[in-house]
Amino acid sequence: MVRWQHGLWLFFLPSFGLLAVVLLWPLGYAVYLSFFDYYLGSGERTFVGLANYIDLLTEARLWNSMWTTIIIAFGSVALEFLVGFALALALYRLNGSAKVFSVLLFLPHIVTPVVAALFLKWMLASNWGFIDATLLTFNIEPADWLGSPVWAKVSVILADAWVFTPLVMMVLYAALQGLDTSLLEAAQIDGASSWNTLRHVIIPALIPAIIFVISIRLMDVFRFFDLIYVLTGGGPGTATETITMYTYQLGFRMLEVGKASALGVITLIVVAILLLTINRGLNKAYRGGDR
Amino acid sequence: MAPLTIQQATKSFGEVQVLHGIDISIDDGEFVVLVGPSGCGKSTLLRLIAGLEDISTGSILIDGRDISRSHPKDRDIAMVFQSYALYPHMTVAENMGFSLRMRGATMDEQHRKVHEAAGILDLEPLLDRYPRQLSGGQRQRVAMGRAIVRDPKVFLFDEPLSNLDAKLRVQMRAEIRSLHKSLETTIVYVTHDQIEAMTMADKIVVMRGGYVEQIGSPMAVYDAPANVFVAGFIGSPAMNLLKGRIGSDRQSFDLDAGGVLQFDSVLNARPHQPVILGVRPEYVKISDGGSAAVVKLIEPTGADLHVMLDIAGTKLTAVYHERLTLEEGQEVRLAIPTDHVHLFDPENETRIVGN
Repeated sequence: MVRWQHGLWLFFLPSFGLLAVVLLWPLGYAVYLSFFDYYLGSGERTFVGLANYIDLLTEARLWNSMWTTIIIAFGSVALEFLVGFALALALYRLNGSAKVFSVLLFLPHIVTPVVAALFLKWMLASNWGFIDATLLTFNIEPADWLGSPVWAKVSVILADAWVFTPLVMMVLYAALQGLDTSLLEAAQIDGASSWNTLRHVIIPALIPAIIFVISIRLMDVFRFFDLIYVLTGGGPGTATETITMYTYQLGFRMLEVGKASALGVITLIVVAILLLTINRGLNKAYRGGDR
Repeated sequence: MAPLTIQQATKSFGEVQVLHGIDISIDDGEFVVLVGPSGCGKSTLLRLIAGLEDISTGSILIDGRDISRSHPKDRDIAMVFQSYALYPHMTVAENMGFSLRMRGATMDEQHRKVHEAAGILDLEPLLDRYPRQLSGGQRQRVAMGRAIVRDPKVFLFDEPLSNLDAKLRVQMRAEIRSLHKSLETTIVYVTHDQIEAMTMADKIVVMRGGYVEQIGSPMAVYDAPANVFVAGFIGSPAMNLLKGRIGSDRQSFDLDAGGVLQFDSVLNARPHQPVILGVRPEYVKISDGGSAAVVKLIEPTGADLHVMLDIAGTKLTAVYHERLTLEEGQEVRLAIPTDHVHLFDPENETRIVGN
């Protein structure tokens, strides 16, 4: 047991003060504003209680953006996890010169998301973009990557995966480095195939890292904004309008600050519930033995 | 249960050759200990037997079958790792049954064999626990249990006791030994601890720098070390190794650093022949006559008395089981029985046999 000395909490004050100013105060203020009808154009605030929440929860646009967010979030995190994990395993098997390779794989993540999005937008531009131009030389009719509701979602998912897969790869690769190799050797002697070793030895050992990386990616992707803003602007129509895009529209386009705050609070609650559920699920799988 | 034969095994990592033509033949049910300082290649050799490293040239036969290129799982071996390598998210029972499960054994069979092995090792009450809830000694036993469940032809132990405290190590030493008695399985056991090697082995293989220096029963290796390295490595405190020349009467030994050792009968070498003379500390006796020496340091260990002696600048260690009343600085006379003197050629450091 660590024994805490009296007066030690004084050291905690500066960082707590900083957190309070930059984190708790804005959060509290957003919660406060969410109970007001506050149109930025008029500058008038009227207390409306839960009206903003009721409005939002009863309109289709919120549910639509919620679904879009969930599809994009789970789609891209799943893709990032699968590809990132596969790359991490491949990298773990390689050695020496492979370390240079890993830096190259990390490049997309070093680029600022907005810049990455601009780059991808040019790649995906119809007719003269890199992808279309390539496909057209083979006489393949390209899809409307950013213009059709379905392809726009796919493009956004792929774009997010392109930027964030390297992060997932690095986290899992680092975790693999910490793996006790004698466990793998024991599994080899025990007669476990590569697949069984992965399933019964490697993945269980990586659960803490997996929980970490999936959690931060989900948190991040629920706040997903810059890539979508540049690539599709939420369109076509509202096909790629995520909760954050909708919040942005409410707050900065329609200037409905109260309603936007309420949506922010709803998002916070949804993400918190989601993360706790996933965390608990993975932890249970980890602690619950191996069957 | 099976004999294990290693023929001309070599192993290189890139340019570096770590094993040079190793030849060892191990009988069915024999307990063999590979011992040597770190970097001698003993663990690499064990990993070659296990199939965790690929052999460069040569072959390994278990029960007459060449397994040197088989997959580890097809070699019919089980290994106990230094770090125990227990799967942390599995219970003791799941850990022990994992190999059976991977081989597609039925739940009944898994259950039966795990309980059988648990019975042998007194692990029954721990079967539902996780490795993190066990002490070091218990983990060690689980690791052995996992090996027993496999019912392999050969058990491989890679420094299994080095993570345990001294008391537990002594206890586990005896346990592994009695386990071997009851299972009668061939065991290859790697350690850097020569006490473990002496106490446990039917046969010791002393290694250095990727070569086998000597193979033999513990007492044979102790009584007749093949060279200076083995002489110094086996036995604690280490054998005294003194450089010098045989005297003209062959009953004395002129130390290079000065000083003379007297013996009561002739030494087994030519007069004036340069040799390395070895004598174990327990045979450096104090007597009324003989070579003069000064007591430099006395270390009582309880059971024994370790005494550091000085003969004209040359250090000599002696061990006495009796409680002698010696004082530091005291002058004594030494008698060393000639039949416990080992002579080595200073050129190639090998044992001089006969004349």
